[in-house]
Amino acid sequence: MFEWLEYTSVALWVGQSSWGYPFLLSLHAIGLAIVAGLFSMRDLSLLGLIRGLTPAPLLSLSRLAWVGFLINAVSGGLLFCSQATVFVESKPFLLKLVFIACGMITASIIQTHLRESIPTSRNRLPRDCKTIFLAASSLMMWFLAITSGRLIAYA
Amino acid sequence: MFYRIAEQIAELPFSVWVSTSTWIWPTMEILHFVGLSLLLGSLLIIDLRMAGYLSAIQASLIERLLPWTLVGFGMNLVTGVLFFVGDPTRYIVNVGFQIKILLILIAGLNAIFYYWRVRSTIGAWDPDVAPPLIARTIAYVSISTWTAVLLLGRLIPYVGTG
Repeated sequence: MFEWLEYTSVALWVGQSSWGYPFLLSLHAIGLAIVAGLFSMRDLSLLGLIRGLTPAPLLSLSRLAWVGFLINAVSGGLLFCSQATVFVESKPFLLKLVFIACGMITASIIQTHLRESIPTSRNRLPRDCKTIFLAASSLMMWFLAITSGRLIAYA
Repeated sequence: MFYRIAEQIAELPFSVWVSTSTWIWPTMEILHFVGLSLLLGSLLIIDLRMAGYLSAIQASLIERLLPWTLVGFGMNLVTGVLFFVGDPTRYIVNVGFQIKILLILIAGLNAIFYYWRVRSTIGAWDPDVAPPLIARTIAYVSISTWTAVLLLGRLIPYVGTG
């Protein structure tokens, strides 16, 4: 199946055109900055290291981060197709997918938690143990996703 | 002249150590990506607010986010200088690298403009009215130059060597 993917016309375009692969890599870096950047600002706020953000704007920023995620799911999917048989055997790549999945699941849990906190929060961010744990795990997941992503080229 | 300086840097024992050690390069790459996430993540919020979006966010947040922008920039300046020292003759002739540095200088001038003309006015911004034109202009210049810096950085391995 992965071999078949590499021979689809879109995979061939990514792999053979001189601009396809670098263009998608650049797009992937922009998506990364949006996703990991916005989620880390959210997490630092939840940990109390950035003061001044309230639940409602934090939820709008999270929605923007999901746009970054979409950019990277598409660009990442296309990059994957061009060398599917290589990526599918790369341990750092598979680990990266796991960390991203954990990061996005944590993001959904945080969003639900924030939304539920709005009626009683008096426009303040929750400061309970659950919030701290979620924010710290999320920061760790994105750090590990970046780390394993970078290591794909070295494994 | 620049190329000759680059050649001399490449002969330094430190440069040889950076380029030949197994773990230095990937570790710096990871830190460079973490730095860019902090830099662009915080700037995206700052620039969107300064451009007049996300008006639910207090303008005073700009000053609270800027330290994180500077942390990200500092990380990337240090790791970026180490990349250059580790492989100076490749970077100095790379068109992508040259334009990237030029754009970082433009972004730096733009930041100086912010400190000079905008910073002291933030306290007086009306939350229901868009920020002043100069703030909006600085926000758009900032987000476009930094996005271009990111694009060019990623393209360095693929573009011509002049």
